[in-house]
Amino acid sequence: MLRMPEFKYAHPKSAQEAVDLMFSTENAHYVAGGTDLLPNIKNGLHEPSLLIGLGGLPKPEVTLSDGVISIDGGMKLAKLATSRTLLESAPSLAEACSLVAGPQIRNMGTLAGNVMLDTRCLYYNQSAFWRKSLGYCLKKTGDWCHVISSPKSCVASQSSDSVPVLMAMDASLVFLGRDGERRIKIRELFQFKGENHLKLERGELLVSVEVPASPDGALSCYRKVRPRGSIDFPQLGVAIVTSLVDDKIEHLAICVGAISPTPKMIKGLDVFYGKPLTDEVIEKIALIAKKQSRPQGSVEGGTKWRREMVAVEVELGLASFR
Amino acid sequence: MKRLITLDINDEVRSVAAHDHHTLLEVLRYDLSLTGSKQGCDKGDCGACTVLVDGDPVLSCCSLAAANEGKKVQTIEGLGNSSGPSQVQRAFDVSGALQCGFCQPGTILSAEALLRENSKPSETEIREALAGNLCRCTGYTKIIEAVKLASSGLSQHSGMLLGEATEGFDVIGAPARKADAIEKATGEALYTDDIVLPRMLHGKILRSPHAHANILSIDTSKAIALDGVHAVMIGKELPKSYCVIPWTPDETALCTDKVRYIGDGVAAVAAVDEETANKALDLIEVEYEVLDSVVDLDFALDEGAPLVHNTDWKGRDRTSNLCKRVALDFGDVDSGYELADERVDVQYFFEGSTHGAIEPHCAIAKWSPDQRLTLWSATQVPHYVHRAVADVLGIPQGDVRVIQPTLGGAFGGKSEPFDLEFCAALLSKKSGRPVKILYTREEVFYAHRGRHPMDMKMSLAAKRDGSLTAVESDIMIDGGAYHSFGMITAYYSGQLLTGPIDFPAYRFESKRVYTNKPSCGPKRGHGSVQPRFAFECGLDELAEKLSIDPIEIRRKNAMKSGQRTVNDQLVPSTGILECLDSVERQSDWKNRWGKMPFGKGVGVACSMYISGTAYPVYPNEMPQSAVILRGDRSGRITIFSGCSDIGQGSDGMLSAIISEETGVPLEFITVVSSDTELTPVDLGAYSSRITYMAGIAAQEAGQRLRARMVAAVSEAWEIPIERVGVTQGMVFDLKDGSKTATSQEAMQLAEAKSGTLGETGQYWTRKVGGKYRGGTIGASPAYSTTAHVAQVDVNPRSGVVTVEKVWAAHDCGRAINPVMVEGQIEGSVYMGWAEAILEEHTFHNSGLHKGPSLLDYRLPTSVETPEIITSIIETIDPGGPYGAKEAGEGPLHPIIPAIANAVFDAVGIRLRRTPFSPDKVLSALSTKLEGSDNA
Repeated sequence: MLRMPEFKYAHPKSAQEAVDLMFSTENAHYVAGGTDLLPNIKNGLHEPSLLIGLGGLPKPEVTLSDGVISIDGGMKLAKLATSRTLLESAPSLAEACSLVAGPQIRNMGTLAGNVMLDTRCLYYNQSAFWRKSLGYCLKKTGDWCHVISSPKSCVASQSSDSVPVLMAMDASLVFLGRDGERRIKIRELFQFKGENHLKLERGELLVSVEVPASPDGALSCYRKVRPRGSIDFPQLGVAIVTSLVDDKIEHLAICVGAISPTPKMIKGLDVFYGKPLTDEVIEKIALIAKKQSRPQGSVEGGTKWRREMVAVEVELGLASFR
Repeated sequence: MKRLITLDINDEVRSVAAHDHHTLLEVLRYDLSLTGSKQGCDKGDCGACTVLVDGDPVLSCCSLAAANEGKKVQTIEGLGNSSGPSQVQRAFDVSGALQCGFCQPGTILSAEALLRENSKPSETEIREALAGNLCRCTGYTKIIEAVKLASSGLSQHSGMLLGEATEGFDVIGAPARKADAIEKATGEALYTDDIVLPRMLHGKILRSPHAHANILSIDTSKAIALDGVHAVMIGKELPKSYCVIPWTPDETALCTDKVRYIGDGVAAVAAVDEETANKALDLIEVEYEVLDSVVDLDFALDEGAPLVHNTDWKGRDRTSNLCKRVALDFGDVDSGYELADERVDVQYFFEGSTHGAIEPHCAIAKWSPDQRLTLWSATQVPHYVHRAVADVLGIPQGDVRVIQPTLGGAFGGKSEPFDLEFCAALLSKKSGRPVKILYTREEVFYAHRGRHPMDMKMSLAAKRDGSLTAVESDIMIDGGAYHSFGMITAYYSGQLLTGPIDFPAYRFESKRVYTNKPSCGPKRGHGSVQPRFAFECGLDELAEKLSIDPIEIRRKNAMKSGQRTVNDQLVPSTGILECLDSVERQSDWKNRWGKMPFGKGVGVACSMYISGTAYPVYPNEMPQSAVILRGDRSGRITIFSGCSDIGQGSDGMLSAIISEETGVPLEFITVVSSDTELTPVDLGAYSSRITYMAGIAAQEAGQRLRARMVAAVSEAWEIPIERVGVTQGMVFDLKDGSKTATSQEAMQLAEAKSGTLGETGQYWTRKVGGKYRGGTIGASPAYSTTAHVAQVDVNPRSGVVTVEKVWAAHDCGRAINPVMVEGQIEGSVYMGWAEAILEEHTFHNSGLHKGPSLLDYRLPTSVETPEIITSIIETIDPGGPYGAKEAGEGPLHPIIPAIANAVFDAVGIRLRRTPFSPDKVLSALSTKLEGSDNA
């Protein structure tokens, strides 16, 4: 069995207590579901002194008020997948949550954990023995990226399913730090650094996610591409949020995930505003998305095929709105 | 530092001293002795560790024990009550869903949770709910049936028989429960890692990070000095070479002078716990001289390629990496080409794959005070392990006992001795304490012994009417670093192709080569799945050129029962025509092949497989299988058999035969199997030999016991022996129906008349096979037949091949227990489909496995596994027990070419390399648009 190195476990009763613990301890990690952190510790990727469990925080909730859905970070993915509020007012987020991993992991994992999910790579998420044999990489211990065969940068991939949807929805995140709360747009969270892809202040805890409730005429979807129908991380994730007025595009946001350290917001889509969703328009949008997406080889499926699939999934997603 | 935590487990509040950094699974299994929750993959990829926490299925290996304080934890042991197992557990039992049982505690809990929330789930909802529980045995088919049965309510069933036997029999042909199934459903069955012995130490093996290197020095002094370490060993302490094939000893327990693949064992330690053992491994200093390695099959025979083995098994210098070359020639192939009207020359590549049994290898060794060794091991060949361990340790065979506990799946991956068995034995001897070694999932990938990658060139030629005139093949086989069953693989790659499709001239040359990668070995359909893929696809290509329906061309060339193949193998019975008829009819082939819209298609393929290899792997004149029966006045019979029940149900097969012969009901039959000190020799669960060979042994023993019972009753009732009838639970006078006695009474009469009841039966080697060198390899006393039709959907935008349905018809001679046979067909189809679509066991240039985990090496889940419709065909083989033949490996073969052939029907491309991944399909589609149909 893969055993973990010794560490202590704390079970605070409030978010502030958790944050204070984090700041007063060297080399501590938050743990919610643990379904990503524990396997990574077993692979020798982390050697924490303390795991700060988040299961003891007050019962998390989803509330809708003034057109904003507030989701406590500790909400389990399984509960979000079937949440009435989400299904009515942010269905693609419920869809994304329902597609994460498999049933057990969705019962354990939280939204905050999924948003904060570490980047992944075929060369990084392996055992200590394996990485030593191949040669350590930029993200951990080494100075070479095996994916791009270069010491220049780490291209480990953002691998969360909820992130592309939250990005397309222009969600906000509320963090609790040592000095109080901080609210940022999720679109400001990421940086193109596989080894450290979140622009965070040290020790911050994601306590709440806020998404706009979809107005009438709003359409959204999340399309996940993965080898199997369960368990797998995305090889590609495409989130689309749009609204149509008189069958014409009023607003359009597309985010492509699982291709690089950051999720990719497709730019320049406003040229389609006012246009109807015809086959021709859909094809053009898909091509633009494909052109702007450059999947890295840090994830299964190859780079060429996944890039083709960007266009395919955008087309299928847009077509589903008709 | 442990601290006291309070856990509510199965409605019982317990205080347990646990480490903060221990998972719930570790505490359940190792601190609370609740071994029902299993350890399959170490890190959340397989679901075998699933428990319910506050009613929800969770992965206990990814949950800290301490994080579960204040929650209600339910394990498999907590299901059911004093009246017996729960509805779900009983439904799994009677549905035949429990084969090896290893994934079932987790699966059953997931099913239980589903039904609590949704008492009438649809099939889709069932598949989704179980999508985090990997099963390798069942193809999920009977698991889904079990959940449906549980949701519709099942009546309390008390008997073992679930339905009617075939006409003329009392038990044979009846669907029946397996005696060990309910214990697997309740988590009581003990697999090797569930066994704990007093003072037991934990062993770990240090493995090479280099694909090819000389070992210059090993310094274990720091490891030995570590507190808690009780023994350390290196390769030189067990220098005797061995191999499961005794003529080709090319490996040692641990490497002595050099390492040959990344993962090759170098040293081992035994310590008070795994954590200490891991620390000790880090303290062992090995100095390597790294050598050039050869990882690519294409370069292995190049001049100047690094030599994986410098000498052969006779100590002579090697000049190349050739492990085994077999070249055989039958009939006149060149004339055959001349006579032909069409010919195809094709090249196909079958990628390597591994077994992926959910239970990792595990062995425990213990020496008695008078220096006799007992080895518990998750092996499917206790007899071969017995011989090898005695040989390598240099002790008499009579001083070694090998016990195979309940086993969590094998599929050929546990059919030879492995390093952990030898290391556990020596570490135990050196430390004076029992030693357990459990592989991590990563180590299972390095141990491998899986499907050989094969690069195959084939030529098939036929006349205008479709009758084949010649077949030829030239195959390169990537063997990895050691021999394993290698020479057999090389023979099988040619010898097993000659039926059920007959041809008059055949020539093949196969070369197995060494490379610096984990060794390949036997995986379900050893050495024959790959060439069958090339042949059945090539046959379709030929049919296309001749404009003949693929099923028709197979009918045209079908063998007949009693015929000999071109390489002189006698095939006493074949159901090829019946199998083709069955799948043709059920799939509505005539209205669909060539007629479905673009993107949809059907494809067919067929195959034949041995029911046991005719001869044992070491030459001897002794029985290959035997059964000893013990009966007594209590009315219970105990069957002692060396057979390995690896989930396929061999224990149940033996029970059915003894019950049929003696009339003693299944409820009063116990099977003691696979313990080399208690049971007679059986060579093991490989090459699909057990039903045929152990079945014949059981028939003989059963008939002898019946004869004693009948003789005693005849004497007591003063009637001739011919008038004594035997049926379930009783004996009776054929002429006077009112004169009856119970089986128990009959046994008492027999015990009184002729003494204590003990009978033996055996299977002696039958002399079969061609009279030429190598003619015995590929020979079998009987052959099964299979045909599949696959229906696929090929998405031309994404390249994804979805297999929507599979019709599988398998001729197993006679189904002794149809539920078990269906389970084997379904599991085989699933496993073959997985190799066709998803699995690839591949390596980086350095020789490092690309992804040695169940997350990277993907085993299909219940969601994407296709619907499998099985048909059992019975040709009643003249030599098999009640006419029975194999069902465990044959049904895997045709699905792979059937899918490829269906893809051609759907979109007009030929897929020539497995797996049929979307990028290959898209690439082939775009090449087709440019003018050729190759992939």
